[in-house]
Parts: sequence; structure tokens; C-alpha cells
Amino acid sequence: MLSAFARAFRTPDLRRKLLFTLGIIVIYRLGTFIPSPGVDYGNVQQCLALGNTTGGVYELVNLFSGGALLQVSIFALGIMPYITASIITQLLRVVIPRFEELHKEGQQGQAKLTQYTRYLTIALGLLQATTLVSLARSGQLLGQCPVPIIPNDTIITVLLIIITMTAGTGLIMWMGELITEKGVGNGMSLLIFISIASGFPTSLGQILTTQGWTIFLGVLLLGLVVVALVVFVEQSQRRIPVQYAKRMVGRRTMGGSSTYIPIKVNMAGVIPVIFASAMLSLPALIAQFNTPAQGEAPEWVQWVSNTFAARESPLYMAIYFALIVFFTYFYVSITFNPEEVSDNMKKYGGFIPGIRAGRPTSEYLQYVISRITTAGALYLGVIALIPLIALVTLGANANFPFGGAAILIIVGVGLETVKQIDAQLQQRHYEGLLR
Amino acid sequence: MTETAASSSKGRPSGDKNSGKRGFFGRIILFIRQVIAELKKVVTPTRKELVNYTLVVLVFVIIMMIIVTILDFAFGNAAIWLFSGGPPDQ
Repeated sequence: MLSAFARAFRTPDLRRKLLFTLGIIVIYRLGTFIPSPGVDYGNVQQCLALGNTTGGVYELVNLFSGGALLQVSIFALGIMPYITASIITQLLRVVIPRFEELHKEGQQGQAKLTQYTRYLTIALGLLQATTLVSLARSGQLLGQCPVPIIPNDTIITVLLIIITMTAGTGLIMWMGELITEKGVGNGMSLLIFISIASGFPTSLGQILTTQGWTIFLGVLLLGLVVVALVVFVEQSQRRIPVQYAKRMVGRRTMGGSSTYIPIKVNMAGVIPVIFASAMLSLPALIAQFNTPAQGEAPEWVQWVSNTFAARESPLYMAIYFALIVFFTYFYVSITFNPEEVSDNMKKYGGFIPGIRAGRPTSEYLQYVISRITTAGALYLGVIALIPLIALVTLGANANFPFGGAAILIIVGVGLETVKQIDAQLQQRHYEGLLR
Repeated sequence: MTETAASSSKGRPSGDKNSGKRGFFGRIILFIRQVIAELKKVVTPTRKELVNYTLVVLVFVIIMMIIVTILDFAFGNAAIWLFSGGPPDQ
């Protein structure tokens, strides 16, 4: 197996892609440690060392940005604005007919939608940077820290920080798209993967030191089980048989073969989990911004932070589950278009045995997909809940800032990326990684 | 293969006809039954495949974590050295 990894590096085409991706990852991590202009790095470290950054809310967002948020670095916002923006644009397609039109237009419309997503990302980045800076100025960001994070807080400095952070968001967005385009894997999910992976060893180490070996091994075992489960679901597929009609092209017979359309039980991959987690971190974030520096927080703020920051509450789990199911359906309906598939089949003389070409075919595909996705969505929701519940019962919840979602995202993205590398290898008639 | 596809396609229109007569719960039960019927046709990975994939994913994730940890260690120390103008301990 290791030789397969080596072979991946020996293929010139693939090596370039892998190295490119690694290069982007290096830049991404580098930016995490460069403080924004006007921020006193020594003071930030001093505040972090005080350890007043309690409260799951910070950790939640901090994890998504790979620790950059609390460092108040130039990449403080991470990939979050981009994720939020793409969720919003996808959701808006249902509400705004123009978006739907653009989507149906094909390539060109898609480009337009991407453009909107980018604008929205910048706007969201601006908004979040402003809130972050105002939190940092009032000293709320890093608990009650005695030393100021921004020693010289004139309007100019504050504006400079906001602009820098927004630019950082733009840069991250670009890097993500570059990975998708020229590297391996999906850029957005890969960058989240990196962010979460950066916090993982620390969390594991904390569990080991605070909870002992038994719990530590338990967590590792749990991770293994989740990996196996995710792999199992990802690799299960419903195969719809397709028969291709024989036809004469010149003097040769073409087609006449029978294949199948593979319909994965979970066609949406990890995207629903990422979306659901991103959505769920929003209320806690809003509550955080509404907490006054001194005195009692309003009642709703307390309620929100109790429900959403403490991930063991049943309401949180229920909403998490529901969101995952919803996003799975949603994403599948966006990415798989039965009419398009049936049209294509008709064009090349293919048909599903027993079903007429054209509308009945697309109806049949829709029928299968809606049923298979139901199972897939429920499965994904349950798998997402397993680590959450298990970590709570193991008592290791406090150490895992993101509970189950972190494990799930890591495994899901890992599998997706590995499969892409494998596909690339197989293109060159090698055996591939996965054999 | 042909047979299963044909039978399920025949099953569908009759199911649609029935759903008009069925009550709310009846329709839900029908749907669940259809979901189970579709699930039975799902091809699951073999044990060998499963083990292999799991291992490869684990190796990949661990490699990535090691890379990121090394990067973080290097950049973190460099940042402390550069920006706070002193040795890492403070």
C-alpha cells in the first residue's frame, strides 16, 4: 500500500498536483500564524496562555479556522465565510427564480453564480471581520485579558485590520478554488480538513493526559469504527442497469453493451455535515456577539449558548440530525438531475430494461433516488450522532471542540481525496491506492 | 437484473394508484417499504474492500496530520520569534 503512495509521487502529472496542493496547505498554515497589522502578537500569546478562552462557542469557530481566529491572524476568518456564502447561494436558488435560471443555463450561468458566491463571501468576510475586531478591541475575544490586543486602536488601525482580514478571506477562497482546479480533492473541504486536523493532535493529547489511557483508546477505537462506517456507506451503491442499443457506425457495430448507473447511497458526501455544522455554529456566534462585556447576558443569549455551545443537549442533537438530513436531500437534488441523465441516455441509445426512454426513465430515476437518499440521509445523520453521543458518555466531550462532526468531516474528506488520487492513478493504468 | 428493474417499475404505478386510497400513515408505510425494497438492491463493498479503504484513509489522514503538525510547530515558533521579539518562553 505504501508503495502505491510512492507510485502516486512517481507519476509526474499526479506529483505536480499533490505538490501543488501541499504548497497551498503550507501557505494556508503560514497565514494562520501571521498576526494582523496593529495586533500585538506578544499580548495575544499572553492572553491565550491565561486560558480564559473558555466557552464552546469560540472553540467551535476557532476550529473551523484552524486556530487562526484566536490568534487574530490575517486568516482569522478561515474558510467559514466562503462556506456560508455557498450555502446561502444554493439556498437562494429556491427563493430567487433568477438564480434557478442561471443554474439551468449551464456553464455560463454557473460562472455567474460562482461570481455571486464570491461577492457574498467578501461581504460576509467584511461583516465578520468587523465584529471580530470590535470584540478584540473591547477585550471580549480572549476572555478578560489584562493586556490590550490592539494597543494602538485608532480608526486607521481598526480599518486596516478589517481590510486585511477580508483580504485574507478572499485569498483563502482563491486558494480553495485553486486546489479544486489544479490540485487534488475539493478545495473547500480540504481546507476545512486541514484546519480540523491541526487541532486534532492537541485534543488527543489532552484526552490522554486528563482522562487516561482507557478513554484515549476508547476514542481511538471510536474513530476507527466511524471510519469503517463512513467507508461502508460511501462505497455502497444502487446499480441501475442500463442497456445500450447496438447501432451501426460506418461498417462497425457500436455499443450493445450493458452497464449500470451507480447511485451511491450517500451521493452528497460530507458536504451536508459541513453545511450543518457551519449552520449550527451561527446561533452560538450571534449569541457571543450579543454578550455584554460586563453584567448579565440577556435571557435568550443564555438559552442559545446553553443549547448550542453544550453539544450534549438533546435539542442540539435533534437539530443537527434534521439539518444533515435536509442538506443531504438538498444537495442531492442540486447535483443529480434525473432529466439530464435520461436525456443523455436517450441520446446514446441507452435504456433501463423494462422502462421506456424519456420521461418514464427520468421518473424512475427520481423514484430510486428519492428512496435511496432517504436511507442515505438517515444513515449519515445517525453516523454523525454516534461520535457525539459516544464522546459524551466517555466524558471526553470537553476535549473535542467539535464533537462528532470533526471526525466525520476528516474521514469523509480523507476518503474523497484518496479516491480522487486513486482515480488519477488508475487513469495511468496503475493499480491504484485502493486495492 | 432485467427482471428486478422491470418488476419494480411495474410496482410503481400500482403503488401510485394505491397511494390515493391510502391514508396519511398508509402512504408513509408504503414509502418506508419502498425505501427498504430499494435498499435491498444496494451493492455493499466486500470485507476486503472495506478493510483496504479504511486503512488507506487512516494512513492518509495520519500523514496529513503529521504534516500539519510539523508545519504548525515550525510556523508557530517562527511567529513567536519574529513578532514578540524574544525566545519562545514568556
